Amino acid sequence: MATTSKNMNVFYRQKKNSSASTGKKSTKSPSPKHAATFGSDITQPPALVSHDDFDEQEQVLRQFDMNMAYGPCVGITRLDRWERAQRMGLNPPKEIESLLRGGKVKLESLFDGRV
Amino acid sequence: MEVDSQEQLQRKQSTYLSLDENFEIQKEVYRGQQYSQIYFARLHMMRTLLYSLVPNWKSHLPVCTVLELEEGKECIIVGTLYKHMKLKPCILDEYSKERSVAPLIKPHNFMHQDDYLVLEDESGRVKLGGTKLSPSVYVTGVVVALHGKETSAGAFFVEDVLEAGLPPQIERPLKSREDKYVVFVSGLSIGSSSSNPLQFQLLVDHITGHLGDEEEQGFAAEIVHLVIVGNSVEISHGLLNGQNLASKDQSRLSEPFKELDILLTQIAASLPLDIMPGSSDPANFALPQQPLNRCLFPGSATYNTFRSCTNPHCFELDSIRFLGTSGQNIDDLTKYSEAKDKLDFLERTLRWRHLAPTAPNTLGCYPFTDRDPFLIDSCPDVYFVGNQEKYETRLLKGLEGQLVRLICIPRFCETGVAVVLNMRNLECHALTFGTQISS
Repeated sequence: MATTSKNMNVFYRQKKNSSASTGKKSTKSPSPKHAATFGSDITQPPALVSHDDFDEQEQVLRQFDMNMAYGPCVGITRLDRWERAQRMGLNPPKEIESLLRGGKVKLESLFDGRV
Repeated sequence: MEVDSQEQLQRKQSTYLSLDENFEIQKEVYRGQQYSQIYFARLHMMRTLLYSLVPNWKSHLPVCTVLELEEGKECIIVGTLYKHMKLKPCILDEYSKERSVAPLIKPHNFMHQDDYLVLEDESGRVKLGGTKLSPSVYVTGVVVALHGKETSAGAFFVEDVLEAGLPPQIERPLKSREDKYVVFVSGLSIGSSSSNPLQFQLLVDHITGHLGDEEEQGFAAEIVHLVIVGNSVEISHGLLNGQNLASKDQSRLSEPFKELDILLTQIAASLPLDIMPGSSDPANFALPQQPLNRCLFPGSATYNTFRSCTNPHCFELDSIRFLGTSGQNIDDLTKYSEAKDKLDFLERTLRWRHLAPTAPNTLGCYPFTDRDPFLIDSCPDVYFVGNQEKYETRLLKGLEGQLVRLICIPRFCETGVAVVLNMRNLECHALTFGTQISS
């Protein structure tokens, strides 16, 4: 492949992650990030690591997913499941409905894409 | 013989109402769900019903979930039954490393004396013991209430069973009705080597009034409806092996439909008819089977008396409710349980308030998410099943005054028997067509 570096730049557009690099510089953690110490996620595969642990809304919705009274959550969107529970007379909490119809929450259950 | 008689015989009519909406799946969207959803819907509906029936049955006992069971505490639990069957064919057997001397030919019935029942709800499952609940009667998918207590071994010893029982029946106005007949026929199997075209033509001629004298024609004029209960055609399996068909074979594929359409056109021109799909018809495999496409019947579909219906099929004629299937549900029960006769299976499905409890375990079924369409809410007046070995019928009386006519419709290609029901008194008789010309 007789391509010059000039041509390679045209082929593969390079994007600089300027925001991430500045972020890395600013945070300082006492322990190195890639060590298998307490609080590190190195041993867990990326899909299972919950990155938004501090998102209260997602926690509330996950509790709704796990509540067996409303039936299984796999293969059905959260809103469909809420509506089904409503139709069956199970009185699911109204806050869940407003949460699902309103903000930027995940509409699929927590097992979506993992099962 | 008079060709033009003074009075023209008019066929009687009745009002028809289709209740198949529950069995249609056009509006369903598949979102990757599994069968847990339909089991949840079934358990929820049946459990709500059973909870309302438990106070009348044993009001002094507490009701709890499977996880709340305590050893020795007498209580009532409600859940779905699961029958563990030793001989039930399992896909993993093909991959099993140990090649045991298992017979390659599957038996007709998979029961074994070591089968046991398990009760399951959302919280857990518990093995059932005791002799009250016989594994030979029950199948996977039935929802029941059980009275008993947990043993030290961790099983639940059953002392009594509560089934949902016959659903409530809508009162029919007992005005003095006239004789009106409905004819049921199933298993025509046009295209198979055993079907006799003369037999079905005789049936058509009889119903349309082309046979017999005025008295016979008078009887035929009282037939208001015909229901064809599945397996109307049979395509030879050699044509369905997945290979591309040569042009001469393509005509062989469509011959049975052309023949059926010619006969159905004769019928549709004369009286209303319903045609249901069966296991050998070109409809979807899983229950509820969708109506046969109208393009298969270019001649008869032009008549407004022609109706292509789902399997199971539910309709009302003059406010008498009919409910029936083409036989897949009862055939599956025959494989996984036992009874004295097929009418017992019919009766059991009514007492369990579920048309096909073995779906989706061993019977193909669409994965509904929000409902179970096979639950029977209202007791039918006539409950039929097609494609059985012989004609059988019984009048079932319920505890709350329900009256149901149970009918097993035999395969017409084998027996030449159609079933005639009188709507006035729910009496049933067989109509046999023989074509043996004896010397």
